[in-house]
Amino acid sequence: MNALQSREPAPSAPLQAQVGPGLLELRAVSRRFGGIHALRSADLVISGPGVIHGLIGENGSGKSTLLGVMSGQLQPDGGQIFINGAPVSFASPTAALRHGIAMVSQETALARDLTIAENIFLGGRMARNWRGINWKATRARALEVLERLELSYDPDWPVARLRPDQKQMIEIARALSMNTRILILDEPTSSLTDDQVHALFRAVQQIKSAGVSTVFVSHRLKEMFGLVDELTVLRDGLTSACGPVGSFDAHSLVDAMVGKPGAWKEYARASVRERGPDAEDAALSVRGLTVAGAVYDIDLEVERGEIVGIAGLVGAGRSELLEAIFGIRPVSAGETAIDGKPFAPGNPRRAINRGLGFLPPDRKSQGLVLRRTIDENLMMVATLGRSRFRPPGGREIERKVAEVAGTMRLHAESNRSLVSTLSGGNQQKVALGKWLAASPRVMLLDEPTRGVDVAAKSEIHELLRGVAGNGVGLLVSSSENEELLELCDRILVMFRGRIVASMPSAEATEPLLARYAGGHL
Amino acid sequence: MSTQLVTPAGEPSPGAARGDSQLSRAVAATRHFRPVLLLVVGLGIYFSATQPVFLTRLNIENLLSGVSVLWVVSLGMTFVLLTGGADLSVGATGAISGILLAKLLGVGVPGLPSVLLAILFGVLIGGVINGGLVGRLNLSFFVVTLASMTTLTGAVNLWSNTNSFFITSPLVNRIGTQNTLGLPTTIWIMIVSFLIALYVQHRTYWARDVYAIGGSIVAARLSGIRTSLTLISVYALAGGCAALGGVITAGRIGAAAPQPDPTLPLLAIAAVLLGGTSLLGGQGGVGGTALGVLFIGILQNGLSLAGLSSFWQQVVTGVILVVAVGGDQLSVRGGVAGVRRRLGAGGAPVAAHGIDGAAGPGPGQSS
Repeated sequence: MNALQSREPAPSAPLQAQVGPGLLELRAVSRRFGGIHALRSADLVISGPGVIHGLIGENGSGKSTLLGVMSGQLQPDGGQIFINGAPVSFASPTAALRHGIAMVSQETALARDLTIAENIFLGGRMARNWRGINWKATRARALEVLERLELSYDPDWPVARLRPDQKQMIEIARALSMNTRILILDEPTSSLTDDQVHALFRAVQQIKSAGVSTVFVSHRLKEMFGLVDELTVLRDGLTSACGPVGSFDAHSLVDAMVGKPGAWKEYARASVRERGPDAEDAALSVRGLTVAGAVYDIDLEVERGEIVGIAGLVGAGRSELLEAIFGIRPVSAGETAIDGKPFAPGNPRRAINRGLGFLPPDRKSQGLVLRRTIDENLMMVATLGRSRFRPPGGREIERKVAEVAGTMRLHAESNRSLVSTLSGGNQQKVALGKWLAASPRVMLLDEPTRGVDVAAKSEIHELLRGVAGNGVGLLVSSSENEELLELCDRILVMFRGRIVASMPSAEATEPLLARYAGGHL
Repeated sequence: MSTQLVTPAGEPSPGAARGDSQLSRAVAATRHFRPVLLLVVGLGIYFSATQPVFLTRLNIENLLSGVSVLWVVSLGMTFVLLTGGADLSVGATGAISGILLAKLLGVGVPGLPSVLLAILFGVLIGGVINGGLVGRLNLSFFVVTLASMTTLTGAVNLWSNTNSFFITSPLVNRIGTQNTLGLPTTIWIMIVSFLIALYVQHRTYWARDVYAIGGSIVAARLSGIRTSLTLISVYALAGGCAALGGVITAGRIGAAAPQPDPTLPLLAIAAVLLGGTSLLGGQGGVGGTALGVLFIGILQNGLSLAGLSSFWQQVVTGVILVVAVGGDQLSVRGGVAGVRRRLGAGGAPVAAHGIDGAAGPGPGQSS
């Protein structure tokens, strides 16, 4: 630890040396993959039984590798592991299990067509008698395990019919059924709604009171402070800070994650959902938004400079959600706020005046007036505030048109050309440019690159990133999961009008999105 | 147009390469009304050659005065057509405004306030009834203006007991029959109204809103344009122009008659269409409309000079309408692009689903 400390320019959170042997200690663990040092010298100490230990770090900081080492899935290149002070090594996950370490990974590993009870005791651990499996006893034992988690599930239910959060609970139940001493939860909240997160927290507290320690990995700083007893922060394969949760505050935690003092400000703006206590309000926040027959109880936030994606099948309610926010679809319940100020969407004009922009999915009929010129289309929104009796144009407008056309890298003969003469990609740039010209606070984009070629698509993506870089919050709906993965910081998945999953896109994959989008939870 | 589909991204389509110099841009600007321009010039040359009276000053003044009502009504109608609508009630609005004018003069209101009130009445009828129902309640312009035409026709006959009222106001007589500064007042009204319309069309954001609404009312609305208010103002303008037409009519015949001219709305629409304004909205303008009205006027005038029945004017106008406007649509929408556009317009929901469907079955529906 001393060596570590000297490497760090006195981080605001203390690097405390552990006094006495902990339940589980990982010391100076390193692991490389080819030329990449995923872990350089990581330390993690779980101080005792019944402790909730938070592990936190940005993507690529080595969290997953450390968990792999801890659970026996990966062999470390260097460093040592101690349990209650005795050195151990895990040759396999089974070896780790034998030492009472079980891991629930992000991807649920359940047999879809088996019942809850069968899944809990997967791996030949069901009760038996001379006739074979003793279903009655198995059921009773499953109920017992579920009881410990305060779950009232019917053990005979097939797992396929459960929601994702319920499936996760079954995995936790399974881990518990194996006399686990240390339960590792890898990003357990990434796909859960707030209510489900609370249920999970209760379960973790139950486990804790039974003397089982938990390693809890999360991106959400808020959760960490509400739940964990002690923290380890990883950065670049090193433990940059560790200690009881009380020795951290939101700012020092972010600084430790990012590695430079004051970084929390930037982080609060640029990254995921968590904000420091006095960070700015979200660019867009939506609470309980419901559109009868289409969208139900949507909660979401888009930070300034954040690109949030909405995945989901056609008809999942993505478009309806954006339309409701923009005020072109009657809302039956819910609240919307821009920059923390509540506003009731009613019509596009009101939304635009409050700083919203909306790129509709069909540029030809909704996004553009094809038979008008490029400059007219580009200035359509930006000149809304001007008197209708005023002559259009003028030097100021011309300059703005040229500026936007330049930013959009619009390829056109002249800004006076009809939009209908442009290629699809350039038309889409005009459809987008007319909003950028109006400098919105929040852009809602429905299928931002539908029907444009690959080159224009990546140009548009680059543009959108630039827009986000200027502090605009972007909410992007797309039926192409690939696009969302490439473009977004965070992805929400909708299914039948509800948000069923939410994850940082670094942790999302196309199959994962597709599974949630298909309602397979 | 069709080349744009195969041009690589970033390359401007070859069709757009023209229109660099001022001149060629000016020529390009006549694109919409080029057929009617040719017709007006050709017809003018023909009648000048065959009818010695045609090019005399008196005949030209008669010709123009004869279409002055159609002129002002068509100018207002142009903006309605630019939004993708039409106003069938202009004849009835003109008639009821004329009766109001006569009644106001009858109770002793002076000439100028009476004329202004009559025009204001037309503005209100157009804006509140037609504009309100079309713009605010999103009813079909056809149903709304057909209904207001019918209702107003009945109302004006009830109000006037089918009586005509003589008008003796010097101002109204001057508008209808006398000269101002050496030209018939009607011609001054035509010139001024045209210049105002031209200014409004080119030099106001309001006109841009009108074009945007006609091009795509959805896009306009989503861009924050006040579509309802703009539509209301467009129908108000058409109503005001119709009322002005009613005032001119009253002045020309020296009386206000309760019978609306039944051909006026459709003739005005024909003039606007002849002038190259699209029936679908979003394209065209008052310049073409002026030529369309001139064409009808020259035809009427020349035929009567030649001693032919004025009914020939209607026959020819009808044929020309099909040939000029229909032919223009063929050339503009012709070829692959035209077919595509028609398919695209008609099958938009299908196409949209198609696109979604194409993206969906990838990983989206597997499992």
